[in-house]
Amino acid sequence: MNVEEIFQVIVQHTREIIPELEEHAFRFNDQLKELGANSIDRAEIIALTMDSLSIQVPMLDLSGAQNMGELATLFHEKL
Amino acid sequence: MKNYDPADIVITGAGIITAAAQGKAAVTDTLLQARSAFAVMQRPGRQHNTAFVGAEIPEIIYPAHFSKKLLRSITLTGGAALVAVEEAWQEARLSGVPPHRIGLITGGSNFQQRELMQIIDAYREKPVFIRPAYGISFMDTDVCGLCTEVFNIRGMSYSAGGASASGQLAVLQAIQAVQSGQVDVCIALGALMDLSFWELQSLRTLGAMGSSKYADDPAAACRPFDRNRDGFIYGECSGAVVIERMTTAAERQVQPYAAISGWAMAMDGNRNPNPSYDGECAVIRQALEKAGIHPKDIDYINPHGSGSLVGDETELQALQDCGLAHAFINTTKSITGHGLTAAGMVEVIAVILQMKAGMLHPCRNLEDPADPSFNWVRETLQHEIRHALSLSFGFGGINTALCLRRL
Repeated sequence: MNVEEIFQVIVQHTREIIPELEEHAFRFNDQLKELGANSIDRAEIIALTMDSLSIQVPMLDLSGAQNMGELATLFHEKL
Repeated sequence: MKNYDPADIVITGAGIITAAAQGKAAVTDTLLQARSAFAVMQRPGRQHNTAFVGAEIPEIIYPAHFSKKLLRSITLTGGAALVAVEEAWQEARLSGVPPHRIGLITGGSNFQQRELMQIIDAYREKPVFIRPAYGISFMDTDVCGLCTEVFNIRGMSYSAGGASASGQLAVLQAIQAVQSGQVDVCIALGALMDLSFWELQSLRTLGAMGSSKYADDPAAACRPFDRNRDGFIYGECSGAVVIERMTTAAERQVQPYAAISGWAMAMDGNRNPNPSYDGECAVIRQALEKAGIHPKDIDYINPHGSGSLVGDETELQALQDCGLAHAFINTTKSITGHGLTAAGMVEVIAVILQMKAGMLHPCRNLEDPADPSFNWVRETLQHEIRHALSLSFGFGGINTALCLRRL
């Protein structure tokens, strides 16, 4: 699975948690917080993504991600 | 001039959802027509090689202003709470009250058992991935948080558990919050008790819930005070009322439904589910005394009437010995089913809806009353309620009573 594919998994779960983003054209530099995801929403998106990717990453290891693209890259490094 | 005092505690708004209907107008119709929704339950998590009978809400209709994001994360209990509070809020015009002067008491505890069980089952083999939101939603106060966020309530809010008397307990606590000056207006919510098959099975094994006697005729299963009853039948429901003083209601030009003239709570000193004649008589007498009325003044009773074998007998004996056998009496649970944490609230709302309609609803399935000398409402009838008594009893020896007076 490449970074783009992981990004699409994150997008899928973001749309699940925030249905209002169904029509949003996601880009790598999108920030979940700016898109209206509060801290619980962000934790939910990350937990759902880890479940889909079957990987466990400590939340602390993901805290450096500044946007959704960086988040996808960090997940890719852990695969 | 109506018969009220400025210090009267009044109900200025109400919202309700039952399995048969949503909203006061539709619920009033279903009550007066004794229309119910009992069937073998279908909601995921309700059966496990069983065929438990109950009444389930087919769909909750939400106001258009609730966001998709809000509705995505909502539980059955949370959704029912929101539509009940919304209806009560609009009616009492609470947008005109400063948010920090509004409170909310959620009546009930451990009321999302089915939903929590579903989450745990889904993640049993992969617990590290459990949804983080479970860390919030497993607490009953999540419903307080949900409602206070949606309605911007900034006064006080907490959940109050009183088993099947939780709905009335929420009313009692809301009265105290208003009388103490903690808030000017307090919403009392009876939370929808969302049972899983674990609770249903144990309640049946306890002998509290009805047996499979009516498995082939679910509509006949719920029959409080009938000689052929054999336990309560569960029904999903929720309700909310707005409690305040007559003075604040008058300031917003809101016409109250009724005054809450008397109330009482007493414990039996008994952890078990069995009823107590003494405890029931105690709250009836205390509530009447507080209301400053005599038993003969009560013209309508909305009893606890769960359909329990011993419970119904005990309640009738208590009513008889408190001098209340003359009053009209019907059984809201025969139509809605037993909402447990919500029951007391739904029944208080049933009282004020009947008061407003000038009608009393019939008892469903009361074919052979346990005591025919009582003034049972067998068919829908016209009656102007002046003084009503509503009773709730809960496991653990909890007894509550409310007197409601027409204004």
